Amino acid sequence: MKPEFTPDEIIATCISRRLRDGDIVVQGLSTPLTLAGYILAKCTHAPNLVLASAVGMAVTLDWKPLSLLRDEAMWLDRPLRRMNFPSICREILPTLEPREFLRPAQVDPRGHFNNVCIGDWRRPRLRLPGCGGIADITPIYRRVELYVPRHDARVFVPAVDFISGVGHIPDRPRDWYLVSDLATFDLDEGQVRLVSLHPGVSLDDVWARTGFPLRVASPLSETPPPTAEELRLLREEIDPLGIRKLETVGGAARAQLLKEIIHREMHSQRRDSRPYTITQ
Amino acid sequence: MMDKTCSLAQAVRAIAPGSLLAIGGLMLHRRPMAAVREIIRARIGDLTLLGATLGLDADLLVGAGLVRRVRTCYFGLEAFGLAPMFTRAAPAGALEIVEETETSIACGLRATLARVGFIASPAWMGTDFLRVRPDVRTVADPYTGETCVAFPAIAPDVALIHALEADPMGNAILGGNLAVDWELSLTARTVIVTAERIVPRLSAEADLLGQRVTHVVAAPNGAAPTSCHPLYPLDAQAILAYVETCASDRFQEYLSAWLQT
Repeated sequence: MKPEFTPDEIIATCISRRLRDGDIVVQGLSTPLTLAGYILAKCTHAPNLVLASAVGMAVTLDWKPLSLLRDEAMWLDRPLRRMNFPSICREILPTLEPREFLRPAQVDPRGHFNNVCIGDWRRPRLRLPGCGGIADITPIYRRVELYVPRHDARVFVPAVDFISGVGHIPDRPRDWYLVSDLATFDLDEGQVRLVSLHPGVSLDDVWARTGFPLRVASPLSETPPPTAEELRLLREEIDPLGIRKLETVGGAARAQLLKEIIHREMHSQRRDSRPYTITQ
Repeated sequence: MMDKTCSLAQAVRAIAPGSLLAIGGLMLHRRPMAAVREIIRARIGDLTLLGATLGLDADLLVGAGLVRRVRTCYFGLEAFGLAPMFTRAAPAGALEIVEETETSIACGLRATLARVGFIASPAWMGTDFLRVRPDVRTVADPYTGETCVAFPAIAPDVALIHALEADPMGNAILGGNLAVDWELSLTARTVIVTAERIVPRLSAEADLLGQRVTHVVAAPNGAAPTSCHPLYPLDAQAILAYVETCASDRFQEYLSAWLQT
């Protein structure tokens, strides 16, 4: 009897299982699903995971359940070390190469990806928020790790409209990995290759929702599903508000979910509202 | 002149139209919202906005028609989605976008601090950023010959920073989330610090030194509806209301109401 799981849960599980104990990981801008995955690793096989964030400008060993209203608290209440934005970007990233799972808006067969605009840059059909530091780290890191919460032919495109993340670099071996809600992928001879299908997903499902021909690993394996304990941790301990699910829905459904989460968090147990003190 | 305290209206008078205006804080955290509101009231336009990230703060300025250009590596509302007025203005060509990333901003400010014209980095190699930023050049490393990118110095005309506590000299406490405000406070010609409260002497170690601060303004609740950790969380309902009002094409209505607060 396999436990039932949702797309966000298998993605968080795949992220968690990629990490090793002692790794330093970075949560990027607006990526609660990755944070759920990181904390899951910390609660299971990687208790010494070191968490860093552009959200709270700190490195920490402690975690708190995901929060929408106080997402800084996890980083700032008990930081191992506070850092500012330029220090994280210029000192931590190039030297420590922390693991960071990035969410592309578009990916192409070479593993290049885009978070800047859809359509021509001068007159885009859609302007995206931007790529943060993706263009800074992907030219130099050995590892590139991506996640796509909603696998779609509009994401997996023959050519990206703007390269803001570098995938394949000729003559440079890279550990390139992508997990979507359907499957996991790597790069093989500089081309995106399907490695494993999530339980219940067929090869045809992936073809139908991918905008370019895929290489397929032989043998093609099945992604190990989340265990009952991993699901319990995600649902009850790490993210009881369900914030991670904001990444797997769109449009009106997402707006509705956002409202529900805000309502739930505002009416959940009032956290100790501390008096005005500044502790060093 | 040790006492730099003044009113918000007096402080924003120091901002010339056309300025390169740096907005402190990050994401939906400790943004200088009271100062932004005062700039909109004073209708100071033709601005170039710079921020490590830009969000609600900059979106209001864009919607108010006061922005010519933006320079940032992320312009959005995090969990609340795309920044509505920016997302509308950008494809219409109503706004010039100078593409930045974390490194181009960090190197740009650090180059100014170091009094050099650029700082070199391997960032951007192999991306399309160099294509859309013809002003950014590559250089050969004089020691190895390797090609790298020479990120040009950035010197803001004005920095807006919201603090938890400031003294009249402009020394200030930022409450943990430091963002890029230290660099802004040392690189901008005019530095406006708004603070939840002004005290004769800070209650703890300063995150900002007041040497380059030009204006200190008392602005209780001055970051709302963004957060001011640990004093108040972000006001999710206010940000949600903004997104919904913009979605139904009633930005002006939201703005008028907000300017009254």
